Amino acid sequence: MTAGEQPLLALTAVSRSYGALQALKPVSLTLAAGQCVALLGVNGSGKSTLLRIAAGRDTPTSGRVSYLGRPLREDALVARTEIAVAGDVSSTYPDLTVQEHLLLVAVAHGAGQSAPGTVDDALAECRLSDHAAALPGALSSGQRQAMQLAAVLVRPRRLLILDEPEQRLDPGARRWLAGLLVREKDRGVTVLLATHHAELAEAVADKVIVLLDGDVIGHGPPAETLGGIR
Amino acid sequence: MIAAQAPSDITDSTQETLGLLRALRRRPARQRASNLAFWLYLAGLAIFSYGGWLVAAIVRALRHPPPPAADTPEVLHVAPAGLCVLAILLLAAQLWDARWRGPVTVTPPTADWLLDTPVDRGRLLRPRYRASAVIAAASGAVAGLVPAALLLAAGLGGTSLRHALALAGTAMLSAALLAGLGTGIAAWAQARPPAASLRAVRSAVAVLIAALTAVAVLSAALRLPPAAGTVLLWSGPWGWAAQGPLAMSGGSAPLWPAGTAMLAVAAVAAVLAGGHLAVRVPAATLRRSARAVGHMSAAMLNLDARRVTTAYRDVTGAYGRARCAVRPPLRRQLILPWRDLTALVRAPSRLAWSALLALAATGLGALAVRSPHAAVLTLTAALVFGYLAAAGLAEGARLDGDDPARAAQLPFRFQTLPWWHAVVPCLALALLIGGPATALAALTGHTRLLPLVAATIPVLVGGALVNSFRGQLEGEMFEGFDTPLGHSSGITILLWYVTGPLLAVGPMLILWDRAVNSSKAAPAIFVAVLAAGLAFWLGHIAQGRARRLRSA
Repeated sequence: MTAGEQPLLALTAVSRSYGALQALKPVSLTLAAGQCVALLGVNGSGKSTLLRIAAGRDTPTSGRVSYLGRPLREDALVARTEIAVAGDVSSTYPDLTVQEHLLLVAVAHGAGQSAPGTVDDALAECRLSDHAAALPGALSSGQRQAMQLAAVLVRPRRLLILDEPEQRLDPGARRWLAGLLVREKDRGVTVLLATHHAELAEAVADKVIVLLDGDVIGHGPPAETLGGIR
Repeated sequence: MIAAQAPSDITDSTQETLGLLRALRRRPARQRASNLAFWLYLAGLAIFSYGGWLVAAIVRALRHPPPPAADTPEVLHVAPAGLCVLAILLLAAQLWDARWRGPVTVTPPTADWLLDTPVDRGRLLRPRYRASAVIAAASGAVAGLVPAALLLAAGLGGTSLRHALALAGTAMLSAALLAGLGTGIAAWAQARPPAASLRAVRSAVAVLIAALTAVAVLSAALRLPPAAGTVLLWSGPWGWAAQGPLAMSGGSAPLWPAGTAMLAVAAVAAVLAGGHLAVRVPAATLRRSARAVGHMSAAMLNLDARRVTTAYRDVTGAYGRARCAVRPPLRRQLILPWRDLTALVRAPSRLAWSALLALAATGLGALAVRSPHAAVLTLTAALVFGYLAAAGLAEGARLDGDDPARAAQLPFRFQTLPWWHAVVPCLALALLIGGPATALAALTGHTRLLPLVAATIPVLVGGALVNSFRGQLEGEMFEGFDTPLGHSSGITILLWYVTGPLLAVGPMLILWDRAVNSSKAAPAIFVAVLAAGLAFWLGHIAQGRARRLRSA
């Protein structure tokens, strides 16, 4: 990001407390277009809390979140059209197939006549073509994870937020995921992800932030920061 | 590479999206409709088979309303406050509903797949809000039958079918309008982020319920002047709703058409305003309520009230917060009482509800003593309220009963836990019921019943403990055999739920009725001894249940 250029997403001293428990201590973070930032940390370190705040799905106890210079609200049209969040979907229509779910998302985002083609491409990209006509209940957990990623791919996005996308994926699928995220970056999509896999972070991130007990204990380029932590 | 369009290209495709969803779900929708029709048929059949006598009794009562009895003037005197209490309880139920679900809801898949799309929220949410408003008004109309039936049973239904129908009709209309008003208020509550304002409204409603209940009890006990009733009837929508049924049952509400019209205007305005506010319900609230509906429905399908409670707490976060601490005891005998006491002070709302129920029980008990010839109903209500207060105070026992492993580290045998868990609820009820009862007895001179009050407290706690150690609903309870009254599993499950209150409230009702209807002192002491024996027996049942839970 050059001087004077407006960041896509800026979190300024955001913190989050639940009663007496401070889940996230004040953290500041800016993301420029096409940048990838990975959050690393053990369970309960505050990664998901930070992601929810960055997506506008949780209100910070203190600090502020702005998207393209304006306060971020989840319900704002700009957030619904430009911010894609994966990892938050827990339920599906029991009577709609995988393909129909994706078609619904594509049409809702205005894909129009091109929706079926976009869906087919996403199914192929996520290696779900053979399961297009399956009901979600018949999918394995890894395939359900792939379906969530496919739902992100059929919609427009400027900022992609992923909460542990590697979960339930086998090693081969994790390599595919890394390739997919690199391609998203190349298209100019900004990526913010939380992960337990340092290898994935090293492969795709421009910057990593390591959290422990809600506090940032390290940040910087992946090789440098992860080397220091190790 | 996937060629998704750029965000700036997006056009409104709400109509296409909702049309596509409807088209994709047409066949399942037909299936759901046929399932619903089947269930409605079954419900109709059950009502016809088992409730036929009830329907016949209602028709008989409508055609020939019961004549006024000796108590009828007193009922009419209390009616303004009593009807106001019922009306505000209806509003409170809708605010409670807004806390976890509300009138603006979507299904969990819709929350997960459509809320973060540019689909127009108004076109997605308003039809659901309108459906909720219609359902609420219909449910309100049905709820309106309750006060109508009570007034009818008290001999206030007039002399003919026309009078009785007019009473039922105005009660149903008022309750439907009130429910419409409540739906609008609930939508307002939902559209606001959970903040101090909503908590303030809930607190205000709680204070209002308590105040109106107090006025109702005072009206009955101290014969407040009629002006107090008039003030209540014009104090707000609850009063406007009470005016129609009151006027139809011969009470003093000369301007009831104006009151009903004001209620209608308020209800229409609230429903319309709610429609505008529905769009503003935040996605986070919609997601939470969608999850809540999913969890609660699953729990209800299991017929397990405790799982419903747990699911409710999960979605509302209604767990007690550690506001204060009680110093841990040094003697091992005090460990469980200390734990129960700590649990109570850390969940003040539970304590407050128990206190409210205990006060209501005391008030109803006093009413029964004042009118002994018709005491059965009021005594039943008083004992049920008292049991519910005891059950709320026995939360520690319930937790140990639900999860015996929780008590594994305690220095007591598991089967003795019911006795230890009895200490705090007994002491708390002695304070909450015994205190006001002693004061009332001192004021009215009915001190001969105080030993019975003291003996009733451990019985109610005993009943609560019997239920606390009932364990989980077992799958084998659904097995059974067909009887002329239906499958036996229904009776088994019902008994599993109500053993505690049945064993505590049933015998105590007989004992209290006898004591209230006797003017001599001896029977009160005699029944007090009997009640003490009953409490001991209930403790033994709870102990036996705890033993079985441990060995399971």
